[in-house]
Amino acid sequence: MSSDQDHLKETDTEARFEFKKEERSSFQADKGLTEETIRVISEDKDEPEWMLKRRLRALEQFQEMPMPTDWPGQPDLSEVDVDEIVPYIRPDVETRESVDDWTDLPDDIKDTFDKLGIPEAEKNALSGVGAQYESEVVYQNMQERWEEKGVVFCNMDEAVQEHEDLVREHFMTKCVPPSDNKFAALHGAVWSGGSFVYVPEDTTVEMPVQAYFRMNSEGMGQFEHTLIIAEENSEVHYIEGCSAPKYSAFNLHSGGVEVFVGEDAHVQYSTVQNWSKNTYNLNTKRALVEEDGRMEWISGSMGSKATMLYPSSVLKGRGASDNHITIAFAGEGQNIDTGAKVYHNAPNTKSTIESKSISKDGGRTNYRGLVHIADGAANSSTSVECDALMFDNESTSDTMPYMEINESTVDVAHEATVGKIGDEDVFYLQSRGLDDDDAKQMIVSGFIEPITEELPIEYAVELNRLVELEMEGSLG
Amino acid sequence: MSTQVPADLSEATVHEIADRRDEPDWLRETRLKALKAMDDLEMPDVIQTPGRRWTNLDQLDFSELADPLNQADDTDRVTDEGVEVLSFAEAMAEHPSLLEAKFGSVIEPDTNYLTALSVALFTTGTFIYVPEGVDAEDVTIRTEMNSRSLFSQTLVVTEDSSSVTILERIDSGDDVEGDRYYSNLVEVDAGENSYVQYGSLQTLDEDTYNVTLKRGDADVYSTIDWIEGNIGSRLTRSDIETELNGDGSETKIVGAFFGHDDQHFDVNARVWHQAEHTTADLVTRGVLDDTARSVYEGVQDVGREAWDTSSYQRENTLMLSDDSEADASPKLIINNHDTEASHSATVGQVDQEDLFYLTSRSIPERDARNTLVEGFFVPVLEEIEVDELREDLESQVAARLRE
Repeated sequence: MSSDQDHLKETDTEARFEFKKEERSSFQADKGLTEETIRVISEDKDEPEWMLKRRLRALEQFQEMPMPTDWPGQPDLSEVDVDEIVPYIRPDVETRESVDDWTDLPDDIKDTFDKLGIPEAEKNALSGVGAQYESEVVYQNMQERWEEKGVVFCNMDEAVQEHEDLVREHFMTKCVPPSDNKFAALHGAVWSGGSFVYVPEDTTVEMPVQAYFRMNSEGMGQFEHTLIIAEENSEVHYIEGCSAPKYSAFNLHSGGVEVFVGEDAHVQYSTVQNWSKNTYNLNTKRALVEEDGRMEWISGSMGSKATMLYPSSVLKGRGASDNHITIAFAGEGQNIDTGAKVYHNAPNTKSTIESKSISKDGGRTNYRGLVHIADGAANSSTSVECDALMFDNESTSDTMPYMEINESTVDVAHEATVGKIGDEDVFYLQSRGLDDDDAKQMIVSGFIEPITEELPIEYAVELNRLVELEMEGSLG
Repeated sequence: MSTQVPADLSEATVHEIADRRDEPDWLRETRLKALKAMDDLEMPDVIQTPGRRWTNLDQLDFSELADPLNQADDTDRVTDEGVEVLSFAEAMAEHPSLLEAKFGSVIEPDTNYLTALSVALFTTGTFIYVPEGVDAEDVTIRTEMNSRSLFSQTLVVTEDSSSVTILERIDSGDDVEGDRYYSNLVEVDAGENSYVQYGSLQTLDEDTYNVTLKRGDADVYSTIDWIEGNIGSRLTRSDIETELNGDGSETKIVGAFFGHDDQHFDVNARVWHQAEHTTADLVTRGVLDDTARSVYEGVQDVGREAWDTSSYQRENTLMLSDDSEADASPKLIINNHDTEASHSATVGQVDQEDLFYLTSRSIPERDARNTLVEGFFVPVLEEIEVDELREDLESQVAARLRE
């Protein structure tokens, strides 16, 4: 145990992730999804006319589109009933003006975040926190020197008001249009909250930008929207983390993430998610990458009943590159269907995808990925590596990559392996005095290290603890 | 939406085929059942990615392609000592009950629209029977297709502890104006501890749509090895499959294709591990020139009860032209953790350094490239036990490179 984990000792790990607050909401939209609901949300947020129009258009598209049901081996979505989901809850906190100080937040909300370790992030001088409690960002802390540089980090609702032109141009237009899939359309209709990040030219934001999302109302969905615009030659690392308590009714999380990586810019988007075991987590995340830009997706998918998540990068400009590092853990009753999509649409583009998955106690993981190299994307290269670890005979681990190669001057490689923990490895560790559980724990920690080493220490520790929790007591 | 059954594919047509061949009732019934099933059957599954289907089988217009009552072929069957290699007509006379028991037992006629069509209309085929303990090496089936359409059915039955090596050679004979359709279903029922290598090479003319499904059922300790060579045809849909149903059974599926002009190869290799200690190795190599396109799916499915499984898959595609397209989807479906499984796929050009090495030693660039392409196929060629097949495939590749 290193001192990096000290703050975790303050609370019992189990309690950190599985707890539930009494709902505090001042406003709750009616269950179900109608044009009226959308108008109410939009009006309540005092949105401009164009945003209302976009929401209504997205609602139309949502109603027209079929559920995605014909993918081989996909999670069963038959229980997802959007009519049963409350699309919008506003916490009873004054959010029109950002809260500048942690202490201004109500105690119980603070407590929620305490258990998630957020103040630790503060103590460790991490840059800023936009914490989403239910559907809105209730806490923002921006360091002055960012503002001086012209960096914007605010909640999405605020951005619609304060940075209208930027949002109007980039919000669900070129990157993730509502027509992309049924849940992107749903998201476009009922989105609420989320983060807006704008980094001007030649600016490097050294500290990771963070946001935590929580769900805390039975039967409600979360539809936060994250929009990141990194201008030419800028650099930013955005981190989101999620952990939702258990509920009896199922939840739907359908977030949207749009990233614009300008020329020579570098954006890293990291997320560690741990939704409660009754959440359907269906997200659309995409980046458009200009010339020589670089996009990195780091994601850890834990928890949830079913997850469908395929962060994608469209390499539009010559020399653009993409990195994906993903880890998925599926325990009892879980179906984690994740992967990556990369479109090479320009010459000299490069992508690497590294995926790790662990399935246990009847859990089901699936890597589903697409690499598309368009005609004309000369001298492109891509390499995909998927490794899966299985614990028992009840679990399932699938790998379903798709490669579409329209260009001959390419270097395309895909590899995948599936196996169980090596008995010899376990024996080696046991012969040096570790018990069976600890040995397996150590092997798994080593297995996921390529992911954890990409994360700030806080998150790496959290991810390791989450994996430990998943494995505890049910090994052997 | 199932495909419309062309009007002239009626029960009367099927009766006529059965009458001409003087078939027993059970086979006639099987054909009629297949014909009836077509109403509700779909085309074989085709890979879909957002916004596109990798192969459009719905373009097959059987009212144009299928000419069931005018099928003609010239098939030459060579047997080896102790093995029976018979036409279906001969087999019905000599092994009626065995044929009835095994026909359609590995590939159910109603697997999909195309298999049902093939079973309803087939007029040629071969039955290969290898009795217990017999080791046979030189079984060959040479088929020339001489009509607009030809539907063929092959059944291989090996008894315990026997072995057989089979070479199947498919070519176009007499010229026919317009598009043509060739269909070949191959069933292999491998008995305990038996060994089958089934090598196939097709060089059909490039107006022919070629559909083949080959499936083997491997019993305890048995081995089924497939070699599938595709050089000809306008469009090929080839599915090579093994069900490892017996403990300790093994399979190897080796594929080679070389597409040029606007050929389209949709090649698939699938294996199901259903028993303990089974092993599979899938190796496919292909080359694409001009505007040719290849689509590959390889599936390794490890069942819940398949303890101690080893399963490997490699697919490599070489692109000689910038206008070609190579699509690949190797899939792992693993339901038992006591497994060692891996797959890999690569797409690229001939190695530039290798090319430089050869040209720097004064070999003209074109010759150097051809040498490297020929070398690319070596790992596949090495798997082929029948000299004739290996040499044939080698010379087909060489001829295509020097066109």
